[in-house]
Amino acid sequence: MLTTLDGRLGDRLVVPAEAMGDTIELVVRPRDLTDVMRTLRDDGALRFELLADLCGVDTGLTMQVVYHLWSPLSADWVRVIADGLSRDDPRVPSVVQLWPGAEWAEREAYDMFGIEFEGNRDLRRIYMPPDYLSFPLRKDFALADDASRGTGAGIRHAEQPVAPAEVRLAPVIRSSAGAGAVLGADGELLALAASATDEAPAVDSGEEPA
Amino acid sequence: MTTPREQVRSLDDPEVMVQTPGTIYDTIPPLTPRTEREAEFYDVGDGEMLVNLGPQHPSTHGVLRVVLKIDGEKIVDLDPVMGYLHRGVEKICEHGDWHHAISNTDPLEYAASMFSESLPVLSAERLLELEVPRRAEYIRVLAWELNRISSHALFIGWLALDLGGITPILYGFGERDEIVEMLASLTGQKLLFNYMRIGGVNGDLNHDFLSRLGDWMSRAGARINDQATLMNENEIFVNRTKGLGVVSREMALQYGMSGPPLRATGVPYDVRRAHPYSVYPELEFDIPVRSDGDSYARYLLHVDEIKQSLRIIDQVLHQMPDGPVMAKLPRLLRVPPGRAFAALESPRGQYAVYAVSDGSDQPFRFRIHDPSFFNLQAVVPLTRGHLLADIMAIMASLDPIMGGIDK
Amino acid sequence: MSAATTPTPTPAGVSPLGKVVLALLAVVLAGALAFFLLWVTGVGPLAVDWIIETGDANIEILRFIAAATGVLLFTVPAAFVIIYMELKLIAQMNLRVGPDRTGPWGSLASLMAGLKVLSKEDFTPRGVDVPVYTLAPAVVFLASVMTLLVIPFAPGMAGYYMELGLLYFFAASGIGVVGLMMAGWSSFNKYSLLGGIRAAAAVISYELPLILGTFGVVLLAGTLNLGQIVENQAGWMWNWYAFQQPLALIIFFIAATAEAGRTPFDYTEADSELVAGFATEYSGMRFGFFFFAEYVNVFILSALTVTLFLGGYHTGVDIDPILGFLGVTTPVELGNIDPGSLGPWLLAIPFLVPPILVLAVSGLIWMVKSEWGIIKSLVVGFVLTNLLVGAAVSFWAIFSFEALLGLLVFFGKSFGLVALFVLMRATYPRVRIDQMANFAWKWLMPAALLNIFVTAGAIIIVREYFS
Repeated sequence: MLTTLDGRLGDRLVVPAEAMGDTIELVVRPRDLTDVMRTLRDDGALRFELLADLCGVDTGLTMQVVYHLWSPLSADWVRVIADGLSRDDPRVPSVVQLWPGAEWAEREAYDMFGIEFEGNRDLRRIYMPPDYLSFPLRKDFALADDASRGTGAGIRHAEQPVAPAEVRLAPVIRSSAGAGAVLGADGELLALAASATDEAPAVDSGEEPA
Repeated sequence: MTTPREQVRSLDDPEVMVQTPGTIYDTIPPLTPRTEREAEFYDVGDGEMLVNLGPQHPSTHGVLRVVLKIDGEKIVDLDPVMGYLHRGVEKICEHGDWHHAISNTDPLEYAASMFSESLPVLSAERLLELEVPRRAEYIRVLAWELNRISSHALFIGWLALDLGGITPILYGFGERDEIVEMLASLTGQKLLFNYMRIGGVNGDLNHDFLSRLGDWMSRAGARINDQATLMNENEIFVNRTKGLGVVSREMALQYGMSGPPLRATGVPYDVRRAHPYSVYPELEFDIPVRSDGDSYARYLLHVDEIKQSLRIIDQVLHQMPDGPVMAKLPRLLRVPPGRAFAALESPRGQYAVYAVSDGSDQPFRFRIHDPSFFNLQAVVPLTRGHLLADIMAIMASLDPIMGGIDK
Repeated sequence: MSAATTPTPTPAGVSPLGKVVLALLAVVLAGALAFFLLWVTGVGPLAVDWIIETGDANIEILRFIAAATGVLLFTVPAAFVIIYMELKLIAQMNLRVGPDRTGPWGSLASLMAGLKVLSKEDFTPRGVDVPVYTLAPAVVFLASVMTLLVIPFAPGMAGYYMELGLLYFFAASGIGVVGLMMAGWSSFNKYSLLGGIRAAAAVISYELPLILGTFGVVLLAGTLNLGQIVENQAGWMWNWYAFQQPLALIIFFIAATAEAGRTPFDYTEADSELVAGFATEYSGMRFGFFFFAEYVNVFILSALTVTLFLGGYHTGVDIDPILGFLGVTTPVELGNIDPGSLGPWLLAIPFLVPPILVLAVSGLIWMVKSEWGIIKSLVVGFVLTNLLVGAAVSFWAIFSFEALLGLLVFFGKSFGLVALFVLMRATYPRVRIDQMANFAWKWLMPAALLNIFVTAGAIIIVREYFS
């Protein structure tokens, strides 16, 4: 299956297909997504007809949309990662035309990350109230702060101290590559990537969140 | 992103209450539609009415609100509104340990919580490439299958209750009561068990559990048969469910459905056989498949699955090896960086997790794929054109559980 | 305890019990004073004479008023009994216990439910149509209760004997539909509207098969008078119309289930679909009225089935030939003993006979169950003697007053059918509304019409060729 995938899709993959355990991972660019998905679903040797999962991932540096597919012809899952979405304006074509069941999953990814799926006719929030202003699962949404309440919410975190206005909370952003790179509030690198055995280094400006 | 402080209006400010239009929380809001589909839905034609199958309703399997556009008794369109039970489980898992994730994911599938708490366990074990003791694996299978039976017994009851029959649910609860008492003597809990651990299970079987299990196994088949006989040939029940909510094979695959709704359309996809995990390869059981795809077929499939689960439990009890029930793990568990997709077969379908680890002791991304979320999507095309009473029959037969849908 | 504390003074005032007692005392004293004054001044006897005179002249009206009052008073306890039966029977079928804390074996549970409903706040929601909203429960309740007037409970004990009794029955129970629609429409609520329309559709669809199902019986009996219909079924069990009209009985029973709004046709309170149907906006005693009306409806439809098809108050066993054979006449004579001739031995009866009986029975028990002491066997003997004497007196009463036997038999049969309704509720899910309408119009009504034709044909044939 690995070779078949490489063969059919080779030119549209960013890196060659990688097998990890019982999953084959493909990385594509957002603009190639629809083609790749359509090939995966319709090609006679592939037939990945079941969309097992659709989710967004915020790696701290980019946004990704991750799809998992199943085919009766293969014992492995296929994971398609649409990588390289910008964190400020993530856009990706929607797969609702191929799998209508992706509609709610895309709504959830939008609700939690702010990823716009072009082609989804119903891209509104699914969990949060309609006038909610933030995207909760993003890495720069600090849970203890939860200042982005809609008017329907308003539950203050029990342990949250009332922070004075002049203290800026600097977010700790960790990347998925395994390093504990710490970026300051303006995006500048405050500490180098540490090895996996070290604790995340303390932020030296403001207070340390959770 | 967190909204900047200047933009956030504090609820302590009295002006906020005055400025906020109450219409955003109206039951059927005359709000400006945000998407095409909303515009299409809230455009009410002549003679049509918008009715709320509100969040408080005996038959919505949790807090689900469905806005119905009805023309007399016929449903023209539906718009499910979710989020009333949203607890932010994925975000909370990112802020706690991998072990904390076990208790955090427990309430997702509260009717059969051994499955949802296995998600962090299986994904961490895959990332760690950990070898779990065989006795622990067998105990896990036992716990899973007992949960499956109790969940299915409850499903049969719910289905009948939503259609108006008040007796089968109490038979189901009688069965479930016994199973849950058994598991209480094993785990100390009756609903949210908190029993699975990364590397094994939390505690070995004890004598009380085994004696209750033995007692129950000798009688289990009879009561399930009672419950099923009450409904299988019941003319009214069959007329209410046969030919209703027919899901075709293509539709099931396109909607990403899994579990009994998928197997009732003829696709023999069961995660226990398609992507074997734990000791399922060593156990002998069939995958019940039906080809009608209607509510009645889904109901019969649940009954068949109970019988298969009993078979599995029987084999597990006979083949249970000795040994430790927990692998040796370091005190501070750091999961190596990587990505893992672990799936298991829960009573409702394929419960899966996409776990991304960055090498620390907290999950980086813990995406929970809940089968009820995808199964419930099918309710919208299936119910259009049917009567008001049919929405219960269809929704109940898809077996949604709001804990998982809302995460 | 320090000596500085003084006992707190008791609050001046009367306890609640004291208030009740004082009020009653005041009423009794005032009544006694009024009675004395009336008697002394001679106004009393004059007034009493006048009352008796007008009463005699208008005995029919008085009888009717008494019957109507009796019927109204009967409905509430009957409803309570039926509610309790339902709670307990359904619980047994659900492998549960049902109420068993309030009262012995939970028998006061339904009474407490009624009192709870009575104690709730009585409100009128904003936006409802107030007169219609207020009157709807009354209409539904009265529609059910008015029909009780013509049902013969026992020989000589019907509220009012009408020549057109059956017609009156169906006319009165048909008013209930208006009440349902009033309730559904006037509540300012889409759910209630839907529920009201569904309920009205169900009830109207099944009224035709209900009425048509009884035509066979009317043809056979030749009258609409319910008392006469029951009398026609006297004697042995095969005289009952159930054996001559089995199809009509089945049609009537199914239609009655829908009329009463019972599962499998309970759209009035389809609580897994529309929460509370047309009564969503009602609470407190208003809801209580709907509730009572439903249970009274169940009772009267069972009573009507019993009257029309199952022999009414007749036992189904023609006991007169047997008694004649045994030499016993009714009312049972106790021999020709003139109490006056006994003299002082008259006192023997109340003072000697009971102790002798108790001692005899206790002695028997003590000899048989030797591990019980004397006290215990005396107590058990006392209870047992009471039971035996009570049973003997009941037997005598039943065979002497045929009204009593008839009453017991009637209630037994009616509550038996009510138990059947309850059993159906526990077992069946609900039928969908379009399937229900389908069944009523396409199956039951043609079957009822067929029944009428066949019955009429059979009557003509029998009359022509066999007599």
